[in-house]
Parts: sequence; C-alpha cells; structure tokens
Amino acid sequence: MNGARFRPRSSVAISLLVPLVLIAIVTLVGASGTPSFQGTVTLILCNLIVVLGLQVFVGNSGVYSFGQLGFATAGAYIAALLTLPPAFALLQTPGLPHFIADAQLGPLPATLIAAAIAGLLAVVVGLPLMRTSTLAIPISTFAFLVVVYNVAANWDRVTGGSSGLVSIPTTTSVESAGLWAAAAAVLVIAFKWSASGYRLQATREDEVAARSIGIGVMRERLIAFGISGVLCGIGGALAVHQSGVLNPTTFYFGATVTTMTMLVVGGARSVLGAVVGAIAIATVNEMLRGLENGADLFGAISVGAAPGLAAIGLGLILLATMIAMPHGLSGGREAGELPWIRRLGLTATVPPPRTSGVATGRSTADPVGKGTLRAEGISLSFSGLRVLRGVDLELAPGEALGLIGPNGAGKTTLVNVLSGFQAPDSGVVALDGVDVTGRTPTRLARDGLGRTFQASLPFPHLTVLESVAVGAMGIGVGRRRAAAVAADVLSRLNLLEQAALPAGSLTPAGQRLLGVARALATHPRYLLLDEPAAGLNEVECGELVEILRDVIKDFGCGILLIEHEMSIVMELCPRIQVLDDGMTLCEGTPEEVQADSAVVEAYLGSAFLAAADA
Amino acid sequence: MGMMNFAHGEFIMLAAYALYVFAGLPFPAAVASALLTGIAIALFAERVAFRPVRSADLSTQLVTSLAVAAILQNVVTVAVDARAQSVATPASLSESTSIGGISVPNLEFVTLGLTAIVLAGLGWLLYRTRTGLAMRAAAENFDMARLLGVRADRVIAISFAISGALAAAVGVLIVMQTGQVTPTMGLTPVLIGFVAVVIGGFGRMFGAVIGGLLLGVLSSLLGAYLPDGLVPFRDAIVFTFPVLILIFRPHGLLGGEIGKARV
Amino acid sequence: MLELREIRVSYGRTEVVHGVDISVGRGEVIGMIGPNGAGKSSILRSICGLVRPSGGEAVFEHHVLTGMAPEQIARLGLAMVPEGRHVFKTLTVAENLRLGARSDSEVATRLEPTLERFPILRERAHQRADRLSGGEQQQLAIARALLGRPKLLILDEPSLGLAPKTIDLIYELLEALRDEGMTMLLVEQNAARTIDFSDRCVVLGAGKVRAQGSREELQRDPGVLRTYLGRQP
Repeated sequence: MNGARFRPRSSVAISLLVPLVLIAIVTLVGASGTPSFQGTVTLILCNLIVVLGLQVFVGNSGVYSFGQLGFATAGAYIAALLTLPPAFALLQTPGLPHFIADAQLGPLPATLIAAAIAGLLAVVVGLPLMRTSTLAIPISTFAFLVVVYNVAANWDRVTGGSSGLVSIPTTTSVESAGLWAAAAAVLVIAFKWSASGYRLQATREDEVAARSIGIGVMRERLIAFGISGVLCGIGGALAVHQSGVLNPTTFYFGATVTTMTMLVVGGARSVLGAVVGAIAIATVNEMLRGLENGADLFGAISVGAAPGLAAIGLGLILLATMIAMPHGLSGGREAGELPWIRRLGLTATVPPPRTSGVATGRSTADPVGKGTLRAEGISLSFSGLRVLRGVDLELAPGEALGLIGPNGAGKTTLVNVLSGFQAPDSGVVALDGVDVTGRTPTRLARDGLGRTFQASLPFPHLTVLESVAVGAMGIGVGRRRAAAVAADVLSRLNLLEQAALPAGSLTPAGQRLLGVARALATHPRYLLLDEPAAGLNEVECGELVEILRDVIKDFGCGILLIEHEMSIVMELCPRIQVLDDGMTLCEGTPEEVQADSAVVEAYLGSAFLAAADA
Repeated sequence: MGMMNFAHGEFIMLAAYALYVFAGLPFPAAVASALLTGIAIALFAERVAFRPVRSADLSTQLVTSLAVAAILQNVVTVAVDARAQSVATPASLSESTSIGGISVPNLEFVTLGLTAIVLAGLGWLLYRTRTGLAMRAAAENFDMARLLGVRADRVIAISFAISGALAAAVGVLIVMQTGQVTPTMGLTPVLIGFVAVVIGGFGRMFGAVIGGLLLGVLSSLLGAYLPDGLVPFRDAIVFTFPVLILIFRPHGLLGGEIGKARV
Repeated sequence: MLELREIRVSYGRTEVVHGVDISVGRGEVIGMIGPNGAGKSSILRSICGLVRPSGGEAVFEHHVLTGMAPEQIARLGLAMVPEGRHVFKTLTVAENLRLGARSDSEVATRLEPTLERFPILRERAHQRADRLSGGEQQQLAIARALLGRPKLLILDEPSLGLAPKTIDLIYELLEALRDEGMTMLLVEQNAARTIDFSDRCVVLGAGKVRAQGSREELQRDPGVLRTYLGRQP
C-alpha cells in the first residue's frame, strides 16, 4: 500500500510549527514583563484561543456564527462559580446549588468541566441551529448570543446579575495560557486535515457538490460547532481567571466584533490566519488603547482621553479588509502553503505516489444481481411548465448511454431526478431493483450513484488530490485510504502530476476532469456526466473520449452522458437517447439517430429536412 | 433587500442621538433633524462601505455591516459618552387622554400614529410612484430591471435612504418611550428586526412587518402571563421562538427566497 | 446599426466566445442559431451589458457599448427580451408595462397602441404577472420591451418552453413588427423558424461563426447540419 500524502511532511511541519512558534514568542515576551504586562499578554492568549474556536467553525464551514462568544460566557461563568471560595459564592450568588457553591476546584478541573459543559451546550444548541439554512445561521447564532447575555444578566441569584462576579481567583499565568493556546492550535489544525474537517471544507467550497458525494452537511457543521464551543469555553474560563472579574458584557457584542476582526483580518480559512490575526489585532488594539488614555501623536498633536477610539480603529481595519482584502493577511493559506515558502524550496512537491488498483470496499467486479439504473414514467412540472413527460431510461453497468436533445428538452432535469436533487411528480427511479425515488443525493451517493455538474468548479481551495479524496471520504472512507483511492483515480485520468496544486489553478479542461474524478472516487456503479466537454477543444475532446472508455473498462460503471458536443457522444456511446420537449424522441445507435428525420426536425426544422434530402 | 444589516441598528441609534443633540429646538424641528440624520448616515454608509462590497458574497457583506455598526457605535461613545443620556421630550407625551372612560397614554397615540404614517408613506411610495415601482422590480430581479433602464445605483441609494428614514422613526419612538439614549441602544432593535424578517420570511417587506407585530404581541403576552420568576427572562424566551420557527420552516413562516432572481 | 467586432466572452478563465463578428443593419432581422453552449446567449449578454466582453467591442450607432452599464445601454434604445422572459412576477401586467417606458408620459402615449397589438394583455392588465401562461408572459415581455420605442429589439430564445401553437402566435407578432421595419436580433436554438423568419442567419458553433447567409445559402451549406449533429456517418 503506497503512502499517498495530501501534502509533504515538511509542509505539515511548517504549518504546525509557525503558529506554535508565534505563540511561544508571545508567551515568552509576556512572561518577561511587568505583572500588568503579563496580565495583558495572558488575556491576548485567551483571546487567541477563542479566535481559534471561531476559526474551527467559521473558517472550515464558510458560515458565519455570531454566537460563539455565548459559549465563552458559559465557560467563564461555570469555571468561575466552581473556583469561587464558598464564602464569596454565598455572597454573590445565593441561588447557587450548594454542591457548586461549596466546591472550590483548582483551575485545571474547573476549566475542563467548563469546557465540557460549553461543548455540550454547543451540541444542544447546534442541533436545531445547524438544521436551518445557511443564511439563517448568522441570525440565529446572534439571537443565541443575546439570549445568553439576557440569562446571565437576569439570573441574579446564580450569576450575580448585571454586576457579575468578582474576586475570582486569578490563577491563569502567561505560561499556562500559552500552553493551552498551543494545544488549541494543534487541535484545530488536526481537525482541519481530518476526514471530518475535509468534508466540512467541501461544504464550504460547494454545498451542492458536497451533498452529491455523500456528505451530510448538517452533521459536519455540528461537529465543528461542538469543537468551537469547547474552545470558546476554555478561552472564556482562562480569561476570567486572569482578570478576576466577570459580567455579562465581558463576552458580548464588543468582544464578538473584536474576535471576528481578528479572524477575518488574519484570514478566516487558515489556522495561521487566526493566530496572526489575533496577535496583530491585539497589538494594534493595545496601541490604540494607549492613545485612548491621551497621548501625543508624533509629538505634535495631543489627543485627549477617548475610550472607544480603539474600537473605532478596529472597525475601520475590519471595513478596509472586507473591501480590499477579504481573504485576510494569510489569504486563507497555512504556513506550509504560502507562496514564498514554496519558493524557498522548503516544501518539495508531492512525488506522484505509486499506485496499484485500490478498492473502496465497494467492489465493482461483483454486480449485485444484474441490476440496472432504471427510470420509468418520470414526469415533472414546475411553474406550470411540463418539463418531463413520462420519460423512461435504463442504464446498465459497463455501458455508455448518450442523452442528447435541444435546449430545454429536460436533460439536466432528468439527471437531477435520477440523482435525487429533484423529486418527480410521478414515476419511479429504481437502483438495482430497489425503488429509490425521492432519496436524497447524499444517500444515493452511498448507494453507488455519482454525478457531475455543468458549471462545477471543483473545490477551488483544496488541492487536486484533496478534492478527489473528499469524494471517498464522503461515503465514509478513512483519510489514508481516501488519499490512495484519489491517487489511483487521478492517475487514470492523467491528472496525477497536478495532485498537489490547488484545484482552482487547473485549466478548464482539467477542472472538468477533476469533477469526473471526484465522482469516481466513490466508485459508483452509475455515473451521470452533465456536459463534461463544455469548453473543450477538439484535442481535449478526443482525450476525454479515451479516458471515459478506460473508466468504463476499469471501473465497470455505467455512464450516462449528457452532451451537446456531438463528436464525443457519437464516438463513445453505442446507444443514444434523444429527448425533446420532455419526451423521448428516439433511441438507437449513433447512425440511426443521425439519420432519424424526427431528430433532424427537432433540431433544425422540417425545411432543413427537405433541403437535406434534396 | 434580503440582507442582514447590523448597521441598521446604529442608524436608529444615531437618529436618536440627533434628537438628544438638538433637544434645545422645538420638538418637531428636533424630530426633523433626527430624520435627516438617519437618511444622511444611511446614504453615507451605502456609498462608502456597502457599495464596494456590493458584488461580494453575502458573508463579506454581513461582516462589512458588522464593521460599520461597530464604528458608528463607538464614534458616538467617543463623541458623547458611553453612559446613557436623558432626553427631554414634550410634557404632553407623558400625559394621558381619556377615551370612553379608559385612560390611554398620549404616547401610545403618537406611536400608533407615527407607525401608521410611516407604513402609509412607504406603501404610497412603493405602490403609487414610479420610483417605488422600480424598487419593487429591482428587488425581485435586479438584472432585469437594469435591462429596462432602471438605474441600479439610484435604486439602491433610495432604498438605503428609506431605511435610514425608517430607522430614524424607530429611534424617535424609542426615545419617546424610554426618555434616554445610549450607544448600545441599537442592538435590540436590530435583533428584533432580524427576528421579524425570519418570522415573516426573507425578502418580503410586509412579512417583516408582520413578524415585528408578532414579536410585539408575543412579548406582551409573555409579559402578562409569565410566572414571576421567569419574567426577567422574557426577552430570552421571545428570541428563542424564531429559532424554533427556522427549524421547521427554514425559509420563514411566510416563505420567501433568499437570494434573488438573476437574468 | 449594431456592430460586433472580434467579440470575446469569458467566464472566469474559460473563454466561450472566440472572436465573433456580426453586424445588424437598420431594419434588418438577423437570426443567430447554433447548438447549446455555442455562445449565443453569452454574446447577447455582452451586448446588453450584463457581462463585460473579454475582448473586442460592440458599437451601437457610434456609441461604444463595451463598459457601459446595462441601464445606460437600455436608454440608448436597445431593448432586450432575455431567455426565460423574466417578467416581474410580483407586479401586475400594467406595472410591468409601465417599467418598459422611460417616463410616465411615455407610458401615456405608448400604452394604447401597444395594447392594441397585444389584446390579451389588455384583458389581464391588472392581474399579477405570475398568473399568466407562458405564452402570455412572453407577449408581456415583448410588449414591455416595445413600450420604450426601441431602435433595436433583441430576443433570446423567445420560443423556449412554449407550445407550438403559442410559438406560431408569437412569431406572427414578430412578423408584424418586422414588416413595420423594426430592427431585430433573434437568437433561437431551433433553427427552423429562425432561418425562415430572418433576412440573414449566423450559425454559431463552439464559440465561433461557422456559417452565415440567407435561407437559401444556409440550406445548401452542409456545415449547418454538421454544427448541430456532428460528422455525418
């Protein structure tokens, strides 16, 4: 078994090391300063942990949540209540159950418990929230933030109300904050490059395509949301044990804006971005705060005391970033992926792995019975238009069926019905004898159906190898095997040399092939290709035909090919079905179809028919 | 226009502060200045912050609105103060009038009246003028409207101006009800606005109005019937409702499309 | 009246139109046909400003269109009826029509003559546009475009999704317009009617012009069939 890697070891090492080194530097600088300076740096590190918590969800899912600081609040209160000496607890929070009030835990157990509860809360809250649509999540998480604030401010007897808690033991040192931050950074990078992290990234890149390869969008988002809750809870717990005071506004709107700024300015998509952003913005913040207390600007202008100046500065920085540099300082890249590091030659390109036939566990050599993909009597209307009118279709493994027809004939709609993206009004879709009408695309991917999309840009920010491997991970294959499967598929499609390049940098022809490769990674029995040759020139078309022939031979799958590029269809498909106006016009060999008068009429009209015969 | 805008709450806040700043003037003049402030700020924000990101993806626009909100909130904190300032409102507002034996606070009349005027004005603009027609068309299908000669920049600027005016109205009402202004007063209205949109369905103006009404009703009901111990948590409960609605109806109670038609 | 010189259109890094020359003279009816994906719609979108051409230029009566905003181009007298009709579904028929004119006074003068031509719209004037059938919506889209008295009328697949009888009706209307001297640029995938209807047709395949000419010329050209159906066996 070869060791296909997503990135060279050196790249992984650098990507891990650079954030850790940055954290270490900050810790050391902090530790060498005055106690007050130490306190500031500790808070910066705690903020960093919260930002990492933000990154793990927002960066990987592409969905913005404005509620994460609610988990920081939760973690902070729980940890504080657990470490408050009983005397203080009695005074400030008379409503607290005795076993909590009497408890006086050390910082570590308190932090761990707080983290666990925050994580649990995140899962409970996330379950309903992640089910909502992508645009509703920012709104509902913001509502969550306000709800948490509300509860904290009003539950006087337990949380101390709006005046909050004081005299919390100040146990967090710079060093311990640094350690926690380092651990958090490692966790977040490990998640990003785990199977679950990859699947989540796929939903960020292209939600529809992700569903078509078997990824459960809600599930992956929930996992990251839970981890995010844990990290934010830790950050909150540690911070509160540095400052010694806590009230509902500590982790509310202002902090949300600050941490969001840190993440976005650094670059939301990468852990490096989170770390760099957190440190950079924190530094700027401190400088601006210095100004707030009155300072001489360049020795000439005297600025009076002005609390809020720092926040304005940060707001302006955030605004400028959104307008000019939405991907942040890091551009969404990890340390090992930065262009100037590449140029230093520190990270060699991945040597093409040796491949041997690799199976995903679904063996294509054993036909389940003699099944076929069959559609019977499919009808579908929307907006009063009858798009499909009683269409039948049958595809067997190992055969190539071409589907052609004028624009608006219903070809893509038919493929959408077959692949579960649209439900027919009537008719049945059967996969190997099982009625699968109305099954979700995710489920169908696992059942052995793969498809490509007309306008697909395959996961532009993942590498070629990752893009394809995600296809296998979508149906539950582990990372290692997925990489091997991907390398195998890529080599068959002559894309292996570009394995380490970002998918977005391929030529249009390459990107089409990548879409096919990704669908193949699930080793489907039936592959539906929607216009894979769009935009290809003659030479590329010829290559595509050869590749598809080999695919049928090696993988034994059945291919349904929608194409307008007639040369490909005629050459590859021994059988062609013509759709016009929602109905099957005719079916037969290429020669039969080309000579069929009804077909010519559908495309060109009867006048042509007459003239062509003349 | 189908997009969440954190900055909207700050337009409300700024208009309210205009009332505070111009409190010395006769009340109607102060209200007018609040209105102008709301419109001016909205137009300024559109030109400087929102137009450059108009073609960016929704997440970018969302975070941009957050940035604008943060800036505006803190500008006021720096310029005035972080603490609440009280605003003098005409005495007649705190009095009550007797109708058929029931004493109704004058404030309610004003609120009701102002809301009615605003809604009527908006309705007239949207449904009886050519500009309003263009706006409704652009809201449904921006590209097609442009193909018919509708000027994109102008339509968007007008929408922002209207939202600024509406924000000013809300700001004035809040000041009349609470008698004070603080820099953070914009947050709750924003949340109510979002939630109203959620309940009413994205992209439907009257859906948002209905959503706001429902929220108000819910809040009052809870205020009246919640057991004593839970009363402080009324807001928390009210805001949990829309989330529940979203779970079962991801497109809002009345439906509506997120994202618009494109030619 | 309208000249396209070496027009190229790209989406991202993919070029779909590779240098196309088309000219439309005053009073002419030019058809553009070709299989799907040939780039017809892309060319139209680049003319009316929805997409910026990546090369070449479009000139309309001495105005260089490249780089202008769609609303500016529309005000020059270029009316586009896009693919899929795109009537404003939440507005009434009358409101849709009103938008076609450039000012309310223009509506007043032009509405009557337009409704004469499209009697069904007069009937449905105050109904919401989403209540209309496909054919009626197509009529509405065309009427709306005509209200502003355009100099050039561009139609993108007006017969798409319509029943044959309805298509006949639409083309009757278009014929009447043609006979009155309206300059038109018409895109259709189905070649039949277009070749019949137009003075000249341009056959597009894979982003390039493959053939051009009058009906008789095209019917003799084997390249047309090949463009659609591939090499003959």
